[in-house]
Order: sequence, then C-alpha cells, then structure tokens
Amino acid sequence: MFSYFDVLSVQILFSSFILMANKRIKSYIKTFRIQSLLIALTAGAMGFSLEKGRIDLLVVCLLIIVLKVILIPNMLEKTYASVEYIVEKDFILNIPILVILSCALVVFSYFSVSTIEGINSGIINAQIVNSMSVILIGLFFMISRKKAIGQIVGFLVVENGLYVTALFSTHGLPFIVDLGVFIDVLTAVVIMGFMVFNISEKFDSIDIEKLNKLRG
Amino acid sequence: MQYAAYVLIQLLVIIMLAPLLDGIIRKIKAFSQKRTGIPLLQVYYDLLKLLRKTSVVSEESTWVYKIAPYIVFSTSIAAALLVPVTTKIMPGTLPGDIILLISILGLGRFFTMLAALDTASMFGGMGSSREAMVSILIEPSVLVSLFMVGLISKSTSLPQIMQAMKGIGAPLTYPVFVMIFLAFLIIIIAESSRIPVDDPSTHLELTMVHEAMMLEYSGRHLAIMELGAMIKQLVLITLLVNILIPHDQLIAVTGIGALVVSIFIYVAKVITVTIIIAIAEVCTVKLRFFSIPNLATLSFILLFLGFLQYFILGGSNV
Amino acid sequence: MEALSIRSMFQVSIMFYVIAAVISLVFIKKQRLCNTASNLICAAGSVFGMSASILKIFSEESLIAIHIFQSSIPFISADIKIDNLSAFFVLSLSILVFCVSLYSIGYISTYVGKRNVGLFNFLYSTFILSMFFVMTSGNAVFFLLAWEAMALISYFLVVYEGEYEENQAAGTLYIIMTHVGTVFLMIGLMLVFSHTKSFDIFGSSVGIPILAKNIIFILFLVGFGAKAGVIPLHIWLPYAHPAAPSNVSALMSGVMIKTAVYGIFRFIFFFLGAAHIWWGITIVILGVLSTVLGVAYAYIMSDMKKTLAYSSIENIGIIFIGLGVSFIALAQGNLMVGSLATVAALLHTFNHSLFKGSLFLGVGSIQYSTHTKNIEKLGGLIKKMPITALFVLGGAISISSIVPFNGFIGEWFVLQSLFANIVSGKAILNLLSIISAAALALAGALAIATFVKLYGISFLGLPRSEHALQAKEVPVIMNIGVGIPVVLCLIIGVFPMLLLRVADKVVFDLLGVSLFGQLKGGLMIVYHPLKIPGSVISPAAALIALTIIAVLAMLVIRVIGGKYIERRYGTWDCGFEALNSRMQYSGEAFSNPIKIVFRMLFRPSNELRAVGGSTYFPESLEYVTEFELIFEKYIYNPAVYLMQLFSNRAKVKIQAGSIHSYLIYIFVTLIVLMTYNRFA
Repeated sequence: MFSYFDVLSVQILFSSFILMANKRIKSYIKTFRIQSLLIALTAGAMGFSLEKGRIDLLVVCLLIIVLKVILIPNMLEKTYASVEYIVEKDFILNIPILVILSCALVVFSYFSVSTIEGINSGIINAQIVNSMSVILIGLFFMISRKKAIGQIVGFLVVENGLYVTALFSTHGLPFIVDLGVFIDVLTAVVIMGFMVFNISEKFDSIDIEKLNKLRG
Repeated sequence: MQYAAYVLIQLLVIIMLAPLLDGIIRKIKAFSQKRTGIPLLQVYYDLLKLLRKTSVVSEESTWVYKIAPYIVFSTSIAAALLVPVTTKIMPGTLPGDIILLISILGLGRFFTMLAALDTASMFGGMGSSREAMVSILIEPSVLVSLFMVGLISKSTSLPQIMQAMKGIGAPLTYPVFVMIFLAFLIIIIAESSRIPVDDPSTHLELTMVHEAMMLEYSGRHLAIMELGAMIKQLVLITLLVNILIPHDQLIAVTGIGALVVSIFIYVAKVITVTIIIAIAEVCTVKLRFFSIPNLATLSFILLFLGFLQYFILGGSNV
Repeated sequence: MEALSIRSMFQVSIMFYVIAAVISLVFIKKQRLCNTASNLICAAGSVFGMSASILKIFSEESLIAIHIFQSSIPFISADIKIDNLSAFFVLSLSILVFCVSLYSIGYISTYVGKRNVGLFNFLYSTFILSMFFVMTSGNAVFFLLAWEAMALISYFLVVYEGEYEENQAAGTLYIIMTHVGTVFLMIGLMLVFSHTKSFDIFGSSVGIPILAKNIIFILFLVGFGAKAGVIPLHIWLPYAHPAAPSNVSALMSGVMIKTAVYGIFRFIFFFLGAAHIWWGITIVILGVLSTVLGVAYAYIMSDMKKTLAYSSIENIGIIFIGLGVSFIALAQGNLMVGSLATVAALLHTFNHSLFKGSLFLGVGSIQYSTHTKNIEKLGGLIKKMPITALFVLGGAISISSIVPFNGFIGEWFVLQSLFANIVSGKAILNLLSIISAAALALAGALAIATFVKLYGISFLGLPRSEHALQAKEVPVIMNIGVGIPVVLCLIIGVFPMLLLRVADKVVFDLLGVSLFGQLKGGLMIVYHPLKIPGSVISPAAALIALTIIAVLAMLVIRVIGGKYIERRYGTWDCGFEALNSRMQYSGEAFSNPIKIVFRMLFRPSNELRAVGGSTYFPESLEYVTEFELIFEKYIYNPAVYLMQLFSNRAKVKIQAGSIHSYLIYIFVTLIVLMTYNRFA
C-alpha cells in the first residue's frame, strides 16, 4: 500500500512547518518556492499516474511551476528588496511555540476531518488531513507575522493548501476553475505588492500593526 | 561459546571502528578547506600516546573525577553490547531494550557532568550546564524515535526491532521512516557534540560544550573519556543504520563467511552515514547556543508528524 | 494460626508506636533519653510492621481485621482491615520509619536543650500512627478521622520551627490546602453513603448511578490530588516540605503524599472501579503536567529541600501516569496492560519513598553539619563528609532513574505500559501515550540535570562559604539512617524481582491477574530477568557487564599504558593564578540556560546593579535574578484576591454586626431546610 502521494503530502505539510519556523522574510519566499514545487510535482505525478491520463493536470503542473515557483516569488523578492532591508523580529511568539501550536493544528484538523462522511472508508485519508492542515497553518502563519509580506506568503500558502486539498480529494478541479484561480492569485499578488509599496511609503514600514492608525 | 565469540567480535569491531569515524570526518573537513589534513589513523596514534602519558590531576579533584572515565567508557561499551552490530546477538548475553539503552547512556552522562564539576574549574561547570541543556532538549526525540520503531515492530527489544524492520524490506521508502531517519541524524549530531550543536575542535569558552567538560582531563583518563565519547557516537550511528537500513546477514548469521560479509556491509553503511554527517558539518555553521531549541524542536516535530501519519492517520500503511 | 500471628504482629506494631508517644510525654523533661527511647521504640514497631506486612502479602489470608474500638453508635468504630494493598503501603511506611527513626536519634539531638524535644517525639510517633491508620482503616469515617489527624499533626510538625515567619506561612498554606482537599473527600464520601448506605471501604459501588460516580470521581480526585501535591494543586508542597525538620520532610515526602495514592487506589480504583476512559485520561494529563513542571521547577531552585519537594511532585506525576494508563486500559477491558501499569504505579510509589527518603535525610545531614540548605553556600562537602556524599550520590542516581538503581525499574514499567497501550490502543489515546512518553523522557533528562546540579554544586568543587568549610561528618547513626534506603535502592534496582513478587501479589489481589505468576521458585527467582511480552531486561546482567568492562578496561590500559603515574597540580585557571571558590559555576548559573529556553514558563528577569562608587567604577556589583511561579501568580493570587474582595463585601453587607440579622439568617435557614425536607 505504498504511495508516493503520501510522501509528497507529508513533505508539503512539512514545508509549511519549515515556513512557520523561518525567521527571515527571504526564507519565507524560498520555502514558498519549494512548497509550490512540491505541489507541481504532485499534480504532475497525478497527471501521469491516473488511468485516463489527465492532460489538464500536466498543464496545471507547468502553470504552477511558471507562476508559483518562478513568477510570484520573484515579484515578492523584488517587492521586498524595494521596501525594506532591515531584518527585524517578525513573529509574535517564539518559534518553538509557534511550531508546537502548528502541531496542535494538525491534530485538530484530524479530529475535524475524521468526522466527514464519505471521504474515507475506515481509515482516514492522511493526504486530506495533511492538506487541510496546510490551510490552517497558512492562516496561522498570517496571524503570527507582523510584516505585510508575511501576510502575502501566508495567503499564498492557504491557496496552496486549498489547491492540494482539491487535488487529493477529487483529483483536481475542472481545468477552467484552476485557471481562474491562478489568474486570481496572480492579480492578488500584483495588487498586494502594489499595496505594500503604498503602505511602506505612507508609514515608513510594512509593519501591519501600524495600520491601526487608519481607523477613524 | 559461539555467542561469546560473537560478543568479542562485536566489541572489537566497535572499539576499532569508533576512532576511524573521527578521522574520516576530520579528513573530509580538511579536504573542504583545501588542506591535506592529518592522516586518517592519527586519532588512533593520539589515543595510544595519551594512554602512555602522565596524568595531570587537579588538586581539588576527588574520586568522582577518577572513576568517571571508567564509568563513561563502560557505559558506552555496554550500550554497544545492547545494539546488534554485525549479527543478531540473541538475548542472553546482555538482555536489554531501548529504555535500558537510554538509561545506560544516561549513567555515562551523569558521571561526565559530575566529573566536570569536581575540579572546581569554571569551564567544567559551564560545559556541564550546557550539556544538561542540550541533553534535556534532545532526550524526548531520542525516546520517541526509538519508541516509534519499537511500536512498528511491536517490541522494545533491539534484536526483535531489527528483525521486524528487515521484514518490512526497505524501510526508507516509507514517509514515517524517512522522518525518523532525519530526526535521528539531528539526534546523532546533538548527542555526539558535532557542528551545528557543538564544535568538537574548538577550545574557545564561548563555544565549547563537550570539550569544556573534558578540559581538566589528561593522560589515560582523557584517552578513555574520548574513546567513550567516540563509541557512543558509533552506537548511535549503528542504531540508525541497523534499524533503518537493515541487511540480510545482520538478521541471521550462519557462518564465518556471512559474518565477514556482514561486517563489511556494516562498516560501509556506518562510513556512509559518517560522510553525511561530515558534509552536514562542513555545510553549516555552529548555531547560536539559544538556537539549539529550534533544532531540537525540528527533530521532535519530524517525529511527531511521522507518528501522526503512521499511527493516527495511516492506520496500517506498512 | 498464621493469620492470628500476623494480626498480633500488626497489633504489636501499633502498640509500639503508642508506647513511643506515651514515653515521649512521660520523659518530656529528660530530653536526650526521651529522644533515644521513643525513636528506638518506633524503629522496633516498624520492624514488626515490616515483617507483618510481608507475611500478610504472602499468606493465604485475604483480609486481616482488627477491632480497636467499637461502640453502639453506628459508624463510630475503629476497624482495621488489612488487605494486600494496605499491607504494601504499610511495608513502604515501615521501612522508611525504621530508617528515619534511627536517623532521628542523631538528628534531633541538635534540638536538645533548645526546643521541646519530647513534644516533637510525641508528634512524630502519632504522625506515624495516623498514617498507619489511614492506610489500614476499614471504614470511611475512621479513614477520615485518621486523615484529619494526619493533616493536623503534620501541620504541627511543619511549624515546629515556627519562629521563622516563612515556616508559619508555609504551615498556614499547607493547612488550608489540605483542608480544602478534605472537604472534597468528605462530600465525596457522603455522596457514596447516600447511595450505598454504608461506610464500609470494602463495600460495593453497584448501587451508584453513573452521573453520581462521575461526580464522586472528580471530588475524590481533587481531594486526593491536593494531598498528593499534583499540579495545579501543588502549591503547599514546595513550602511545607522545606519548612519541616528534615526527618519529617522525609516521612512527608516519602509516605504522607503516598497516602493520597493509596486513597486513589482504595476509593477510586478498588471501590468505584475503572469505569470510564476519561477518568484515566484526566489522571494521565494531570500526571504529565506534574511530571514536567515539577522537575522543571526542581531544576531552577537553589534551596536543596525545595528542589527535593518539587521533585516529589514530579514523581507523583510519574505515579499518576502509571495509574491513569491502568484506568484507561482497564476501562477498555485490557487486563494485561492494566496490570502492567498498576505494577508500575505501585513500584514507583515504593521506590520513591526509598530514594526520596534517603535524599531528604542526606540533605538533613548537610543541614545538620553546615546549618544551611542553600546550595550556593555549599561546595566541597565530599571531602568533609565522605560517607554522606557516597549515600547521597546513590540516592541521586536512583532518583534520576538510571541503572542500576531502583528508580529505573519504576520508570521502565511506566514506559512499557505506555508502549503496550499504544500497541493496543485507539488514535486519541495513542497521541496521549506518546506525548506522555516524550514528557517522561524530558523529565528524565531534567532529573539527571537537577541532581547533577544538586550533588555537583554542594558536594564537589570548592567550599563556597564558611559554613561549608566548617562541615564535619555526621554521627554514624545518622549515616546508617541515610544508608539503609540507598542500599535497598541498589538491591531492588539490581534484583527487581524481589519487589516485583510483592507488587505482583497486590495486583493479583486488585485485578485477579498475575504478571509474574508463572514464576515459581525460591530465592533464585531474583536473578530472573524482567520479562514482559515484547521485552526483556536484566539490570543484574547490565551491572555485571558494566563492572566487567570497567575492570577489563583498567587491565588493558595498564598493559598498554604501563604504570599509572599522576602529577597533582592546580586546576587550570587561565594563567590567572588565583583560582577561588567564587569562580566556580554557581547553581543559579548552572540552571540558567534552561530558564532562558523555557522563559515562557519561568518568565525570568535579571538586573545588574552597581553598588557604591561612581557609575563606571562601582565598588561592587549586585546581580539579582527572579522568576515567576505561574500557578501562584495567575491562579491562586487572583483567587485569593477575589475571596478577600468577597469577604470584605460580606463583612459590610451580610455580617453587619447586628444580632437580629444573624438570628434572621438562622431562622431562614431552618425554614428552608424544613421546606426542603417536606418536598424532597
């Protein structure tokens, strides 16, 4: 019953743990690259291995590599390079505790998912639990970081998690939906990058706690 | 009688192999710095030389200081006897399991730390305190990793664990064992005082951990203390390779020929892992002391995820 | 015939304790005589208790009953009923009492002429007696009376050196917490009575509905948990144990907190039965909390007795993990794992009383000869007090659960039961078990560090103060008292079967299953390796192997290296040539890394102040370091604050001082009760 999808899903989950443990903004982006690469691999492997031969999954795999492994991280790096060079402490709690809390999230998503009927027969589908945990950890990552780039990366990880969940539960969404989502994400990143510029110009920092000043 | 012979062979292999690993690591480090480095067998010459030298003993020290090296050495050897090295030694020579193994290593650590405090030296206390912290942080991973392989093979006794692992085939193709492998590499690095946790070649008080505890030792005491530490490192590596990369001859030795083959395979596996550790040592820098918790957490998280995947989500994947 | 003699031996034992109490009051003026006589009589009594309980466990008789006092009024009777469980705890009590009594002959002699020694001896012997009755009482009312007596007498012993304000505060905290516990116990026992109409401890709980059982479980758990000092009900323990004289601390930590374990065995395990899995889960979680936090606090304390007190919390935690696992396993009907875990809890209870007793006595010896228990003022004692040093080293190794001492045996069984629980368990329980195992490993490593610190800073190195410089070896009788438990620790550690046979009998009595029942034979059985399904270890073989290897190593090195030549020289001082005791690592510095790593828990703060002189050239520097005790600060202090607020309000509004309003309260209460009686 050995499956390389299991290995891949564990690795995707583990990469989000590494993301949680990262200290510097540059390494967030690097980890995101690796995670996206793993997801591309998963999609590609699924495209090859499924009986009917899903060409669309292979296309999606290529798209992910172009978009999420190359384009978006590069844009983020550029944005980061133009706004701030100073490395500051970016997280609200210390790292071991964040990581342990993430562990608790995995356990929690197991309890939540194990009650869903129909997904599993008898044994719980490990891949779905792992990808649900990626979503939760992505959200938690957004909460735990102060700088705006952290939020963007967190958002992208949430999106990754959603995509992987879809991939593992239904072997990918219809191609057109995938395409739409990717374009959405791309636009979102472009807009957010633009916003980060603006934030940094207005407040001399991309610390989102400063956005408190915006309320009336 | 046959078992006695096997035990003897195992002891000889362990004692002879342990210093070689240090030699290999030093050689690889030297190569990476474009140096020729000391000869591969220099560690042996050093040990032999140390054994013949006069011991300089601190005036403040007591019997704790003098018995500690022997206790450390014999605990390392006893640990080595618990771990089947070249052949599955049947229970009967030294019946024991993973919990006893951890406890025996604990006895050695207890006396190393005490001996460091015995000489009233400031370095001793420093090393002892730091060693305490590193061991506290890494200990849960040690137990959980061994527990997990034990759980998968439904036994805590090492020969049985190895047999069950052989039954699995190639354990390293399963996610849970990959995670255990990586976590155990971190454990080996932390427990045998290597970069990035500790620097074995430093004598700077800011960075020493294990060396600070050895600082007052000299002559034959130093030699057996060092040899004990090397054997402990080899025992940990042996655990890793013989559990997660089992080979046929390990499980059932039928004759001299198979034993020789088994020894060769074993040495090859150990040297491979040593090279991995050396490469890791070359590629990383020593961590800030208070970043060690992050490394320890990483190894624990690897194990925890592995546990979740295997015992909670996976059911019976293997 | 046999039963008769065992019964009379128990009676003799009780008589001896009573005589000791009486004698100490009779000879209250002749302090030295009174001290020696009453302690010797206590020791004699304990010898009878020991042999009687061993005979009881190996006899065919299932229950030995002694009626001390019976009246025509229902419930008011003092029945003693001794089954194997009681006998096991009495055995543990008696062994420790024997050692402590011998020790006290020397230890208490420092008080002669300064304090009321006769009173102390009276309290001491009645304290033993009350613990004996707690462990053997046959009905719940007698149990509660003995429990209360034990609490009160131990309170008086805690405040025996009451001229120090901190001791009084410790006593007050202790008496409040222990009474809170007793209240819970009382309510629980009344609930039991309301359903079963009987105070018989050996009765059956069949008539109790499930909801009531759950409530009773919680009440008992809180009641006994407060006595056991399990986190978060532990706050009295680290103050009360250091405040009491060391021989009393040894008894309190070695036996008194175990009466709570006995209570859980007797009232929950035996009486209510292991009904629900969540009971076990609760106990395991409490155990894990106590284990990790207890030893973490033990590590950072610089008061030696506080370290030991916190380490008691840790060990109670380990016992609770064993207990909890047995509840979980039994609730699932898994008898094998259940009996394994029960044996684990029993073994650790027994072992802990030995090594913690010896350590408290050893620290008492240090206090006797240096008049301080502050680790920062000690050092180098191994040269001044070599025998004490040897024994304390044994105790320290034992408590760190290292081979070849007995601490390891208990921990081995706890870990094995967790292991067996995972092999046969369900998902959520597996998670709990593996976290418990990790917590045990963490606690084990912390315990090693704690006792390296305790031993290394106080016994090794150079003396850090005049106190330590003036230390002398204590009288032989005190060393005997410290030494016996350590030797027993070693014997049990090497030949665990000695104790296991006893524990196995108790488990057979409780569960009807015998782990080692297949082993029959004479004394040879002690060499038998520990064997349970899936594992086998032999501590004796390990010890023999260690010894042989060490001797062989010495011989080989002698051959290779030639004759051993040594040169004595000063410790390396970086060429500074003025090594002094202040340059050594202090205890505070030793544990500081862990304080920083777990700063979420300890919240340390430190400050460097310049004293005198100018800012840049101060005369001296003062380094102050502090940490927070989170339970005290975030749970108890707010609770006390609320209580005081409420009381102050009550003082103004309710207790206004008018007699009339008080009468109205009584009147209204009566009316309400009578109405309730009409409709209930």
